[in-house]
Amino acid sequence: MTSCRTTCPYCGVGCGVTAEINDATVIAVTGDRQHPANAGRLCVKGSTLAETLTTEGRLQHPLVRGERVTWNSALDSVAQKLQAVRRQYGPGAIAFYLSGQLLTEDYYVANKLMKGFLGSANVDTNSRLCMSAAVAAYQRAFGADYVPCSYADLEMSELVVMVGSNAAWTHPVLYQRMVASRKANPAKKIVVIDPRRTETSEAADLHLQIAPGSDAYLFVGLLHYLLGSGNLDTRYIEEHTRGFADALAVAREIDLARVASMTGLETQQIEQFYRLFGTTEKVVTLYSQGINQSASGTDKCNAITNCHLATGRLGRVGMGPFSITGQPNAMGGREVGGLANQLAAHMGFDEADVARVESFWQAPDMAREPGLKAVDMFRAVEAGDIKFLWIMATNPAVSMPDTEQVRRALQNCEFVVLSDCVEDTDTAAYADVLLPAMGWGEKDGTVTNSERCISRQRSLVPATGEARPDWWIVTQVAQRLGFGKAFDYRHPSQIFSEHASLSGYENEGRRDFDISALAGLSEAEYEQLEPTYWPCPSGNPVAEPIAAGRFFTASGLANFIAVQPALPTFDEDAERLLTLNSGRLRDQWHTMTRTGRVPKLMRHRDFFSVSISAEDAMARGLAEGELVHAQACSSSVTALIRIEDTVPRGQVFSPIHWSNQHANRACINGLIPAVTDPVSGQPQLKFSRVSLSPVPVSGWGLLLTRHLPVLPAAAYWSRVVASGGYLTLFAVAASAQLQEVQRDLVNHLQPFATRNIDYQDPGSGDFRNVGLAHGQLVYACYLNADRRRLPDGDWLTAQLAVAPLEDTLPLVAGFNPGSPVSGRLICTCWEVGERAIAQAVKAGARSVECLGEELRCGTQCGSCIPELKRMLLAAAS
Amino acid sequence: MAQKLVIVGAGMAAAYLLQELSRLDHGLHITLIGEEPDACYNRVMLSALLAGEAAESDLAMLSTDQLHSPNRLLTGTRVRAVNLRQQTLLTDNNETLSYDRLVFATGATVATPDIGMSGVEGIRVLRTLEDVRHLQCVAAQGRRAVVVGGGLLGLEAAHGLNGRGFDTSVVHRQPYLMNRQLDAEGGEHLRERMAQSGLQFFLQASVAALRASDGKLHAIVLQDGRELACDLLVFATGIEPSMTLAREAGVACERGVLVDAYLHTSDPNCYALGECSQMGTQCFGLVAPVKAQAVVLARQLAGADGPAFALEDWPVQLKVSGVEIFSAGSVQSGDEHLVLRDAGSGVYRHLALAGQQLVGAVLVGDKRDGIWYAQLIRDAADVSGYRSGLMFGKAVSEAMRLSAVAA
Repeated sequence: MTSCRTTCPYCGVGCGVTAEINDATVIAVTGDRQHPANAGRLCVKGSTLAETLTTEGRLQHPLVRGERVTWNSALDSVAQKLQAVRRQYGPGAIAFYLSGQLLTEDYYVANKLMKGFLGSANVDTNSRLCMSAAVAAYQRAFGADYVPCSYADLEMSELVVMVGSNAAWTHPVLYQRMVASRKANPAKKIVVIDPRRTETSEAADLHLQIAPGSDAYLFVGLLHYLLGSGNLDTRYIEEHTRGFADALAVAREIDLARVASMTGLETQQIEQFYRLFGTTEKVVTLYSQGINQSASGTDKCNAITNCHLATGRLGRVGMGPFSITGQPNAMGGREVGGLANQLAAHMGFDEADVARVESFWQAPDMAREPGLKAVDMFRAVEAGDIKFLWIMATNPAVSMPDTEQVRRALQNCEFVVLSDCVEDTDTAAYADVLLPAMGWGEKDGTVTNSERCISRQRSLVPATGEARPDWWIVTQVAQRLGFGKAFDYRHPSQIFSEHASLSGYENEGRRDFDISALAGLSEAEYEQLEPTYWPCPSGNPVAEPIAAGRFFTASGLANFIAVQPALPTFDEDAERLLTLNSGRLRDQWHTMTRTGRVPKLMRHRDFFSVSISAEDAMARGLAEGELVHAQACSSSVTALIRIEDTVPRGQVFSPIHWSNQHANRACINGLIPAVTDPVSGQPQLKFSRVSLSPVPVSGWGLLLTRHLPVLPAAAYWSRVVASGGYLTLFAVAASAQLQEVQRDLVNHLQPFATRNIDYQDPGSGDFRNVGLAHGQLVYACYLNADRRRLPDGDWLTAQLAVAPLEDTLPLVAGFNPGSPVSGRLICTCWEVGERAIAQAVKAGARSVECLGEELRCGTQCGSCIPELKRMLLAAAS
Repeated sequence: MAQKLVIVGAGMAAAYLLQELSRLDHGLHITLIGEEPDACYNRVMLSALLAGEAAESDLAMLSTDQLHSPNRLLTGTRVRAVNLRQQTLLTDNNETLSYDRLVFATGATVATPDIGMSGVEGIRVLRTLEDVRHLQCVAAQGRRAVVVGGGLLGLEAAHGLNGRGFDTSVVHRQPYLMNRQLDAEGGEHLRERMAQSGLQFFLQASVAALRASDGKLHAIVLQDGRELACDLLVFATGIEPSMTLAREAGVACERGVLVDAYLHTSDPNCYALGECSQMGTQCFGLVAPVKAQAVVLARQLAGADGPAFALEDWPVQLKVSGVEIFSAGSVQSGDEHLVLRDAGSGVYRHLALAGQQLVGAVLVGDKRDGIWYAQLIRDAADVSGYRSGLMFGKAVSEAMRLSAVAA
């Protein structure tokens, strides 16, 4: 057995992971104690990484229009088509759509090929959807995409203001570091600004539950307040910034009363926050998708940055405006120029930058203008202007706004290439060529986390099937296009070294991104590379670049931006519509292409559902667990209703993760119009207006199968992977007969079993079927007019493992009197369910520590601690 | 001087009565008289004995002590007449016995239709240990048997003969087997299970004629003209209470010896129990009511207070050819039906509801919780609170009911 240090592929915290490898298999992962991001901690998603390394669902061979072909043949057809389109229609007709899942080396090679050798800047990335507003705001304020904070700053600060971030679920390890630092420093305060009550806000000292999209009013109003309260650092403003007067002119209009009316907050609450901010020197404002995914996202980020500039609170320990990214290598993508409006190494498209990169690359055909950003790119694809689209490691058919438009575009596109590590994504259905890429654990390179720390993602196990590194795939195409010399890489270290050289090329401290100290690393040094923060220019001692108040603008001064706050608008508005907000779940990641394969991770939230308040549910005649249509933009989803007091009246919350692979109509982004921020091009994924209407059903079905099931026409289905099979919940439309649906299903299922058991109680709409083979459960299907009378899914899935099944009666009953039902899974690490916890609380457990001692819940990754606290609190009141 | 009790008949009813008496302090002088050479054996197990699945010793119902508890045991002895006025009876070896109390436990005989070929060799019933011993002595291999009657007794007999090695067929007048206790689908499940052990069935069929030569049976003819070759014809078409002795003595009888709830006959000194007895309009062919009668009667005889015998809808519970069968109430009287089919393991369960009550249960292949269903039927319990668990037994239903309350 060997162990290998690598980096987690999920969120932007970028935790170090130690993998235990035995016989070319990763048997366990733990947090890397030496990694500065996590010091040994790991969240539940990271903890289950080993379970994602299965061959199931992996794309293993190159496919051209569904036919397996050799790599040679696939690469030839990609190169030929690319060349043909470029020759006939020009470089504007080709585009790459990349991903924050790519390693820096992959990203670098793709960007170099497109922008330096094919003459197009149509390279954009799913990071556009995630934090391009934050990038644009940093560029406007500092003259560079420079994140001026570290995780240690969050710990050293006296006040953390979290805006539009549910870090307890989305960045759990970082969240735990903040909470731990507050425990060590009781004077420290955490303020959370979020329309929704979340696990993060539960632990906050102050939660400002603002109206959706009204954040800019709060921060422009803060600037107004700081002026009045005398908390401005006038010297800093004078010496290191410009534009303050203009920013203030706008802010003067935004007084407390205005803020209160626009945000829906009490003036007292607002003042409490303003006073905290005004009087606390060490403030970090941490913001994420809730700010970025807005039609005025860049302005919002700048409204925050303005307040830090006005108080001189940046560039020093424990303070600054901190954008946290969603993906493991969003930062790496930004570094190489993976966004269409960047060139490379934090350089843009001004003449000098283009000429510099051109000479460095010895590029034959440089792009000289920014390319199309994601939303515009897919519009151009639909319009037929882009005819060749190469997508790498992402799933735009699910993750883009207005997914119907994206699907139309993919459908119409002359040639779509998709490099991915999984085969069954919604996007894959539209690809002409599928290229198997290595996944996490196989590929080898570097990633940069949210605090500018470059870490190695190392190869742990051999590739699955014929999977290859993304950089290799791009390089092979480049060679076929005649650029062999510029793309003759044989190892990722060579790419990294070139990337590092470019960052230092003609830099001399003018550009923030400089890692030239890492240029020329040997393969062995690269292999051993420890987590390294940038900037790390060669020769020079490393210092915080903006500590001295010198920025990367031409003037060297930071810019205030005169932000005019605005609320989100919606075309067809009406009273009865609800505001849609979307977000992530604790145990899921993106479109579930990986976490969706881990049974444990599907037990915190199983089936696709959207949440509303009890008042809105009542007004629409909806009850918990019923079926609903949510409609907007001529698109709809069908979901279960969850009634949650965390969701304010007038709003709907939906998780973002579901695709056609896991439910029939669950692409929530289809309900979101492709409205973008004019500065950054980031789409407003956090806002739409939707109508909800109940869906009448004649009954419900719960289906457990060993194999991927074929379902009858259902009004709704949602499927989760279970240990050894699949669990599907479905609903039968009111127009269909339960008994007929049962018959169809059973006709399909029976051939898989050698013994078929059938139970019917037509009077109460109860139909159950169980199939066995070799004493093992093959399928179990339960239909009932009443969803509450379907069996417990956890208990049921556990039956797959029972062999031989001695007594089939409890199985058909869907209920075993001997086994305690666990309920919803709260602690994923130790698999502790809701009911066990409730029982322990009832029996006298009064603290999280108590529960931990008794049941072990919350003692590993700690992601469930906020929920444990909430249960304890609920029990106490 | 001890009171003299004479029990006429030494079958299962007498055995139960002796078992019950042995629990009581009665002081009676007991005489037990049986026609068969064997006394107090378990008639239900005759088919198992024939099939070779049980030994004769397995059929014993009484412990040695219990068997010797009568002061006199007369086997192979027929009672010719009873004189109620003198309180005496006369045996076939002309002994006269006097009694203070007399119990008729004379059982029943198999009803054989008159098909006009008496004296033909090869026509039998399967009722006594002697019948089985006879069949055990004849060569079975390669020989064909036909059992007439697809009810409980017929199937038992057929199972026994099949196990003994006869190539066995069952001719049954009704469309499905055990039509008194099962429903059509349950009967069909049972047929399939029994057919797997080699039995053949002719349903909706009856025997129209026999073919014999030299006084030996060689075939039967069905009503539709089909001819079934056979060496042995066993009738199992139902039983008739043996009440001739009582009736001739002047005890009131209809189909059986009439008794009241304390098993008194029309004569103050006489009682009856078991298959020969009739209460109201009902006669008794099952074990459960006879056992209940024995409890009541033993207390009467011992002069102890005790409950009266109450008519109930006794569930039928048995194992035919290795297949468990349970039937309670009447599924035909239900208006909603819950059905579980597990053809692969020969399980069929049918529960019938009328309103909120369970009114019938047929269980084939898996009779678990049958007693509970019978209880629910008897109590006319409201089952609506656990209807979805009902089929799966008491434990599941209880837990479901509790979890529904808790939720």
